[in-house]
Amino acid sequence: MLTDNNASPGGRDTGGMVVAVVFILLAALSLWDTTTMADADSYVFPRAIAIAMIVFSIVLIVGNLVRPVPDNGTVVEGASTPRRVGLVAAMLIGTALMPYVGFVLSGLVVFAAIMWFAMYDRWTRFRLIVYPLVGIAIVTGFYTIFAKVLLVPLPAGLLFD
Amino acid sequence: MPGIEYLLEALTPINILLALGGVIAGTVIGSLPGLTATMAVAVLVPITFTMPPASALILMGAIYTGAIYGGAYAAILLNTPGTPSAIATTFDGFPMAKRGDGDLAVTLACLASVVGGLVGAAFLLMLAPPLADVALAFGPVEYFWLAVFGLTLISALSEGNLLKGLIGACFGLLLACIGVAEISADIRFTFGSQTLLGGIETVSALIGLYCIPVLIDLVATPDKHLKVTHQPRGFRFLEALAISWKHKLNLLRSSVVGTLVGILPGAGGSIAGLVAYSEARRSSKRSEHFGKGEPEGIQATESANNATVGGGFIPTLVLGIPGTPPDAVILGALLIQGVRTGPNLFTSEGSIVFTFIYGLFLATILMLPIGLVIGRYAYKTIITVPKAMLVPTVAFMTMIGTYAIRNSTSDVVIMIVLGVVGWVLNRFGYSPSPIVLGLILGSIAEQGFVQAWTIGAATDDLVGMFFGRPISLAIIALILLSLFYPLIRARWLGTSRRKVRAD
Repeated sequence: MLTDNNASPGGRDTGGMVVAVVFILLAALSLWDTTTMADADSYVFPRAIAIAMIVFSIVLIVGNLVRPVPDNGTVVEGASTPRRVGLVAAMLIGTALMPYVGFVLSGLVVFAAIMWFAMYDRWTRFRLIVYPLVGIAIVTGFYTIFAKVLLVPLPAGLLFD
Repeated sequence: MPGIEYLLEALTPINILLALGGVIAGTVIGSLPGLTATMAVAVLVPITFTMPPASALILMGAIYTGAIYGGAYAAILLNTPGTPSAIATTFDGFPMAKRGDGDLAVTLACLASVVGGLVGAAFLLMLAPPLADVALAFGPVEYFWLAVFGLTLISALSEGNLLKGLIGACFGLLLACIGVAEISADIRFTFGSQTLLGGIETVSALIGLYCIPVLIDLVATPDKHLKVTHQPRGFRFLEALAISWKHKLNLLRSSVVGTLVGILPGAGGSIAGLVAYSEARRSSKRSEHFGKGEPEGIQATESANNATVGGGFIPTLVLGIPGTPPDAVILGALLIQGVRTGPNLFTSEGSIVFTFIYGLFLATILMLPIGLVIGRYAYKTIITVPKAMLVPTVAFMTMIGTYAIRNSTSDVVIMIVLGVVGWVLNRFGYSPSPIVLGLILGSIAEQGFVQAWTIGAATDDLVGMFFGRPISLAIIALILLSLFYPLIRARWLGTSRRKVRAD
């Protein structure tokens, strides 16, 4: 369930301030990078934006210190962090594997892994047979549409070259 | 108004079939995140080479119309704009779907798209030559101000913290600077990485920032993706029709905005949707409900983005300048057909042009039943598919869709990383919409600003360049109105309440 992240009303938005500090560092890094640009046309706009970002971030931090406002972020109650990490890791690993094992195989691995992480019901015999079959149909179906109909050059992988 | 003979020519069985097939193909392609209207038209354009020019145009127009509308499905049901034109559809569409009104939202989007498409086509039919001059009146400075006008939406999208919205927009604007600078060709913010050299692809970023956070939260709990009511409610067509009739002014205004923005070369459906959304919010009596599932928001965006189809054809056909990216593909196809676009096209090739315009009307009308049926099917699928199938399917679609844009695995990695960044930022109250706004409007704003600055400096009239042109002044007035209208309205309401109490 999505809820506002204001468990302690009247508390300080520490998370928001930490993110603002990260944005200040990011803007400073951007400003430093603009010093390597030769043409004014290249650096005028990003410099203006980076400076604005620093100013807004400082105002946010100072404002929070002077007059604390509660965190307005959203959190999901009772959420599973390992499943979240698993989803992102499966997508990243699948993408990294793509050039080596090909799109279909990496797609099947990603699909199977995410299906595992997203499963909250009991694995009955029916589900154990049908879900993977539907997964294979979806992956190969999309592969056929993209590679054969839309002619997108999806990676074939080193193994199948 | 051009004769009935062209209408009859557009209504031949083959043209009706082409319009029908085009709308279905376009709607399905547009509904897949990552596949844009441009891609839909580009992929299917070779099959038009052997057709008569008018039929070819009807097919391409139908694909284009369908694809723009199809983007609404993913926006409403998955919080992922299927095409960039549907960005603003997510603002109210997804909250409506979350609270159990996804079916109504899809029907509202369909009705609005049809109205927008018809208004755009009507402008194309009746006012194309005079309106084409508008495209020529827009210089770099007007584009800059138009982008700034789009950025004023930040105040609406910041969900209670304007500063966080502004910081997010700056972050998006900086992301838009990554890669090779368009004007000076300097390499910016790549820090030696080859992956970042091509810049951040907008559609991949959209998919990442909107869809990945939804997936991350979806996989983390056993809760249903959307709230479901168990009694069958059909299309909820009459309910949607009543809402549309109630807000007919919003529909018409947004359609006209969409047509006018469509006329501007390079602006496209995403800007049209954002500008129309901003105007709808400003003028609505329920402006505080925008972003929380307000039907008027969906109507504004969807009517405006479909109106860009007709609007975009105006400079394409009259001046030979493509109004939107898909128009560029269609223009190329027309040249292959031997049709020379230009001011004389409407007189020299009247039969082709007017048959096509009536065909566009036909395709837009056909979109109503087709859109309703496909939308109903999409909604039912999303609410009935088990989570263990929905999450991997959507994740896989985001990967293949992102890859297909530039055939690049780097884009897929960037999409996932941006998604995680978006999720973390949202966790701390930094909403993704201002970042997306900055990312989309960044290049338009920068290009317009630098070009206007260069011209102003060369003519020694910087102030005149930025603040002395009539269209610029009109857009600046709209920007100020958009920013300060809520304040003025609150003050005005406060004064009238005090007066009533005093009486």
